[in-house]
Amino acid sequence: MIALEVKNLSKSFGELKAVDNVSFTVPEGSIFGLLGRNGAGKTTTIRMMMNIIMPDSGEINFKGINAGPEFNSKVGYLPEERGLYKKMKVLDTLKFFAEIKGKKGKQITKLAKEYLERFDLSDRMNSKIEDLSKGNQQKVQFISTLLHNPEVLILDELFSGLDPINTNLMKNIILELKAKGKIILFSTHVMEFAERMCDHIAIIDNGKIKLNGSISEIKADRSKLNVGLNYEGDISFLHHHPIIENISDYGNNVGIRVKSEDDIQKLLKLLVDNKIVVKKFDANEISLQEIFIDLVGKEDAEVNHV
Amino acid sequence: MFNYRVIALIKRELQEKLLSKAFVLMTLLLPVFMIGIVGVQTFIMSFESEGSKIELITYSDTLASKLQKVILEESFVKNGSLITTIKTVSENDFEKYLAENENILLGSQLDGIIFIPKSALKDKKIKYYSKTPKNFRLLEKIDRPINKVLVEEYFSSKKIPIEELEYARKSVDITSFKISEDEDVKEEGYGGLILSYLFSFLLYLSLIMMGSMVMQAVIQEKSNRIVEVLLSSVTSKELMTGKILGAAITGVLQMTIWLIPVILVASTTWFMLPPEAMIDVTFLQIAYLLFNFFLGLLIFVGLFTMIGSIFENPQDAQSGMWPILMLVMIPFFISMSMIENPDNPIANIASMAPFSAIIVMPAKMALVDVPIWKVILSTLVNIATVFAIFPIAGKIFRVGIMMSGRKPKWSEVVKWLKYKY
Repeated sequence: MIALEVKNLSKSFGELKAVDNVSFTVPEGSIFGLLGRNGAGKTTTIRMMMNIIMPDSGEINFKGINAGPEFNSKVGYLPEERGLYKKMKVLDTLKFFAEIKGKKGKQITKLAKEYLERFDLSDRMNSKIEDLSKGNQQKVQFISTLLHNPEVLILDELFSGLDPINTNLMKNIILELKAKGKIILFSTHVMEFAERMCDHIAIIDNGKIKLNGSISEIKADRSKLNVGLNYEGDISFLHHHPIIENISDYGNNVGIRVKSEDDIQKLLKLLVDNKIVVKKFDANEISLQEIFIDLVGKEDAEVNHV
Repeated sequence: MFNYRVIALIKRELQEKLLSKAFVLMTLLLPVFMIGIVGVQTFIMSFESEGSKIELITYSDTLASKLQKVILEESFVKNGSLITTIKTVSENDFEKYLAENENILLGSQLDGIIFIPKSALKDKKIKYYSKTPKNFRLLEKIDRPINKVLVEEYFSSKKIPIEELEYARKSVDITSFKISEDEDVKEEGYGGLILSYLFSFLLYLSLIMMGSMVMQAVIQEKSNRIVEVLLSSVTSKELMTGKILGAAITGVLQMTIWLIPVILVASTTWFMLPPEAMIDVTFLQIAYLLFNFFLGLLIFVGLFTMIGSIFENPQDAQSGMWPILMLVMIPFFISMSMIENPDNPIANIASMAPFSAIIVMPAKMALVDVPIWKVILSTLVNIATVFAIFPIAGKIFRVGIMMSGRKPKWSEVVKWLKYKY
């Protein structure tokens, strides 16, 4: 069931069309990835959803509620550029952010302490924010988006700058929330995360939605000509081979796109004939990264490999 | 406009401001500082005139002995702040005498020589020779006794009774009475003047202080991006309202603390003040002052908040701040000018005009009896100013707070007003 709908959202800054007729839907209890390069329009779209900037046209609908204070009170929002009051104490900060969402009292304090415990911060409860490391500040800010028990979580580049242990911790919490039926929307340009976590994605480029749908359908749709290969040997002879459309090299793994469905069998034969040790040959597999690059253009420095 | 979000914002502002060291220090230290300044000034002045030495030279012995008698009565002789030696030197010899004593004058043994020639009995012109002849404090002290002796000497030949002379010598002693709508006519001292000074000064100081404090806070929230998190929970209007009200409440609290001595002086007999310095102020007036100050804070903190939202660092904000500073400073100078003439026409206009009424009206009220309708009208003007400013400040705040990067031009800021926000 569709819970959150973004319809025909547009926003221009002067000449620049930052967001151009963007629409997507997010089903209940799902994790949605808004994927795009830096400057593609992700943050502007999210800011319009949060009513921080006004769209030129279009609307947001969450179970019948439009963008505005009521919607905001049901959302936990973590912006890409993080900020907290430096002089405020950790627990006070958490209580304040819950209070502006309309939640206060003993229960919130208790919940805050529980989360701090989970993030290994309970001994820093009365420290000032400025005395915390950057990673810890980020954890505090993440907790502050959860305390008021939001129905929707909007996380802009959540994992940027986090170490693997904290990344994992946040990932687990997000999956818990998903199990509770919450909607989680996160924007990222890191495809690996999106691939592992998202049920649905939208790829945005130059302000326009290029692709939108469930990740499994998208993959199924686009994987007919694709092979995931794990090998030992030299496959450089495949470059410029007539049956090969494209090769995406990820080191030990390569994604190979052939020109027609028959070519997949030809490819396997070609590899064996050339004495390549095939460890894994997975027809009908495509990575999100390949889809993304295919859609958004040439691979460049801005698309991170993780 | 007052919902749980605004209340939470106000609470946070108060927590941050009232518990800050700067607030506690400023609130406690300002009165100490002001008393200190007055004290230090008095101390320096009394110190400087300690033990000046001058010679008073007359052309005749009779005048010298009269002068001696009069001078001995003077307080400066009694407290030793001015030591005088009286001598007689004939007019012909004076030039020579001066030349002989030049070295003493140039050294520090003697501060000056006053010569009273015979002609002084006709034109009262006397001469003062010194290394630092423009010592007005010293001349001011000596000028009265010399005048007295000259007048006595002049009239001694005219057979005028001494009582008549006393009368002629007396200067007019004006006692001021304040006519007010109250039944009784009260003798008016300097209390009103002191109060007017004090209010203008405190208002001026507080408005600028609170205003720039909030401006800094807004710039900080903007530059370290807290604002985006805040705006995902509260609207920009709520955020602005919370900040301004937080500052206004803090300011009023601070002003109340500062006014407590005034209230105590006015309402109790704990302090023994000379009757001329009696302060005549009612609780209603204090309440008015605080309410007026509250409106002032809403207006000026509102303007400062708007300026803060436009810029991303305090240096850039300086350039945007000066028009607002002018709006506080000009009325302050008008208030100061009223101390010389409370009925100054500019002050009359300023006490009713937007922005300046906040500062000028209370100062005026301490000096003259302003009819109640004028006070109400000026308060209405202030309230109208608050309502006129908020939508404008709100719009600029809404756009400015999310702008980052380049410092905007004023023409762009004006365009923000037309944005669909």
